[in-house]
Amino acid sequence: MPDKRILLFGYGNHGKFIAKGLLDDGFEVRVIVSDEKYYTQAIEDGFDTTLKVDVTKDEALLALNPETYSQLVCVMEDEHLNVFLTLSLRSLFKACYILSISDSIHTTKKLQMAGANKVIDMYEVSAHKIHNMLNHPVATQLLEEFVTHANGIGFREYVIPENSFLHALMTDDIDLSEHGVLLVGMIDEELGHHFTFVTAGINHKLDSGDTIVCIGEKEYLDSFELEIQK
Amino acid sequence: MNKLLLSFALYLHTSKRYKATKNFIRDILNNSNNPYKKYVDISIIFLIITSVFILIYEVKHSVPEWIDIYDIYFVSLVFSVEYLLRLWVHNDITEPIIKEHRDAQFLGKEFSSFSLLKEGLVEKIKYMFTPSALIDLLAIFPAYRPLRVLRIFVLFRVLKLLRYTKSINQFTEVLSNKKFELLTLLFLLFFVVMTAGIALYVMEEQKNPNIDSLFDALYWALVTISTVGYGDISPVTPEGRSISILVIIAGIAMISFATSVIVSAFSEKLSELKENRIIEQVNKSKSFLLICGYGQMTKMFLSQYGSEYKNYIILENRVERMEQARKDGYDAIHEDASRYETLSKFNTEHCDITVLCLTSDDVENIYITLNAKSISKRIKVIARANDSSMLSKFEHAGVDHVLMPHTVANSMIHTAITQPTMYKAIHAILTGKSVARIDEIRAYECKGIVGMSIEALAFKRSKLLFMGIQRSGTFMFNPRHTELVQSGDILLVMGRKISLDYFKSLYEEGDY
Repeated sequence: MPDKRILLFGYGNHGKFIAKGLLDDGFEVRVIVSDEKYYTQAIEDGFDTTLKVDVTKDEALLALNPETYSQLVCVMEDEHLNVFLTLSLRSLFKACYILSISDSIHTTKKLQMAGANKVIDMYEVSAHKIHNMLNHPVATQLLEEFVTHANGIGFREYVIPENSFLHALMTDDIDLSEHGVLLVGMIDEELGHHFTFVTAGINHKLDSGDTIVCIGEKEYLDSFELEIQK
Repeated sequence: MNKLLLSFALYLHTSKRYKATKNFIRDILNNSNNPYKKYVDISIIFLIITSVFILIYEVKHSVPEWIDIYDIYFVSLVFSVEYLLRLWVHNDITEPIIKEHRDAQFLGKEFSSFSLLKEGLVEKIKYMFTPSALIDLLAIFPAYRPLRVLRIFVLFRVLKLLRYTKSINQFTEVLSNKKFELLTLLFLLFFVVMTAGIALYVMEEQKNPNIDSLFDALYWALVTISTVGYGDISPVTPEGRSISILVIIAGIAMISFATSVIVSAFSEKLSELKENRIIEQVNKSKSFLLICGYGQMTKMFLSQYGSEYKNYIILENRVERMEQARKDGYDAIHEDASRYETLSKFNTEHCDITVLCLTSDDVENIYITLNAKSISKRIKVIARANDSSMLSKFEHAGVDHVLMPHTVANSMIHTAITQPTMYKAIHAILTGKSVARIDEIRAYECKGIVGMSIEALAFKRSKLLFMGIQRSGTFMFNPRHTELVQSGDILLVMGRKISLDYFKSLYEEGDY
């Protein structure tokens, strides 16, 4: 499980939703805004540690101690400011993990050049969704529900502990359906940190320390978590 | 007799087969959106071209008997049948008779079907005198061989092409918009030719051996003004030559004027013609997309998946954006998708249309959704919404799917933060990367699986991950292995496209 301290820049359309979602998932979120309106809003929503700072000033960013957070999330409403902030954070904190949102078709590349580790392009993910809606409407709807756990079904990752019954099993031989879950893929640490889907046709040997990703109903995912510890 | 007519009209009125046949023929002859009309058009065009070719060939060669039979009997028979069918579907005689009978019964007054029959027949006769019907009729005549002069009526077969070739139709349509200018020009031409002809006749009739009558002088004036100038008749007196100078100058001016009128008519209509052609083209396909708005969302969608969609049109109401779309290589027309007239141009009856409302304005997208659904419930609408409070309004408008870009992006960011290891997997699934494609198998499209149990299906052999069944709107995740597939089921699977194609082929061919 990743370190649960997030420094979130911006409390607009995206920031507000993300902050709330992270809080619900047990993350510690510190919101940074540069606008009085968003500051008031964040405080009203219960984010008491919210700070209003001028993110264009290096001193202000240094004072936030971003190195102490696991991820820096840049979702400022102003597209130019968001790119500038990403650039400033990267130049000041080389080792930090920066995640930024791109609200415009031309901003994605700029954010990548500015040094963001991951850029989520709003239009790109929406375009994929339109394509999926046109071609697989039912699957798209269900997939969305899986991702958001809306219908009680979702994805979960497990690290295989020492002496688990999964240890030394081959992925082709595993049938987890009796546990109420399905194996989607895995990360074989011996072969590098790459995610491999079970549908790729590669028969992997599971070892302790490997990460597997399963899909299932929440209660089955919980009970399977206990099961693999045995 | 009155009763007999009424009962016959009632019989036809209640006959479903008669109505269906008449509607089918009317549609196939007159509705350019009918998918089978093009085959009728091509066949008729083929008959016309072969008939004209035979006429030309016959001038210097003798033709085999079967060609004569084809030209005299077959082509003429087809044209006669077509003429009669057009006459039949032009109007409905039975409908007014039945209506009048019902009204008469209601009011208890006397009913006579003869006057209505007469009205119906008069309507048909009126149709017979329309230019297109006359051309159709005259095109049948060349079949009568004893009168060789009738062979010239083959030319009417060429004129029949007017009905079947859109470009000629459009040409006449464009010119008809400049009717006033062209008629003025024609009147001027008539005036100049008459004046010059009479003047030359008066001045040279005694002196010029080539001018014997007023007709010769008028012929000279027309040949001169058109700048053709055969030279068989030319003025011999200084007065006549002076008239020639004036006629030549007037001719040049008139030709320039006519050219400019025609060119301006085409340049005014060019973009409309282009747009109509795009609409006609797309209306011929079985299914297509109407993408409303050319903003960032549309640009991204087309740059990612444009090559996968062959049939689509972008409807953009701002000229500069429409031009940008065309510059970017996409089919775009300058139309407002929220107008009824715009969407009703599309073939909603025979095509599966999906409207993508991708403008950045929620109100505009709702309006387009309502417009599309008011035209036909069959139109599928996927709309973009920026404000979540608009969702219920979109649902009321009848939208099939709502796309909320902010929510999609937010949930991706949330996943990337909370489940960083899995983010790649989920992203790959969402973006349909090769091995992580989540797809659906519709039992009615893959009939071989119906009635089979889940454990008997070759998911493992095809390297597919079976996830569940969508049945009557409910998703059954990981159902029992003994569960039987029903005909309305949709099976949710994950895997490569080749795996899915292989799986489908196993059950489509029924070799499993």
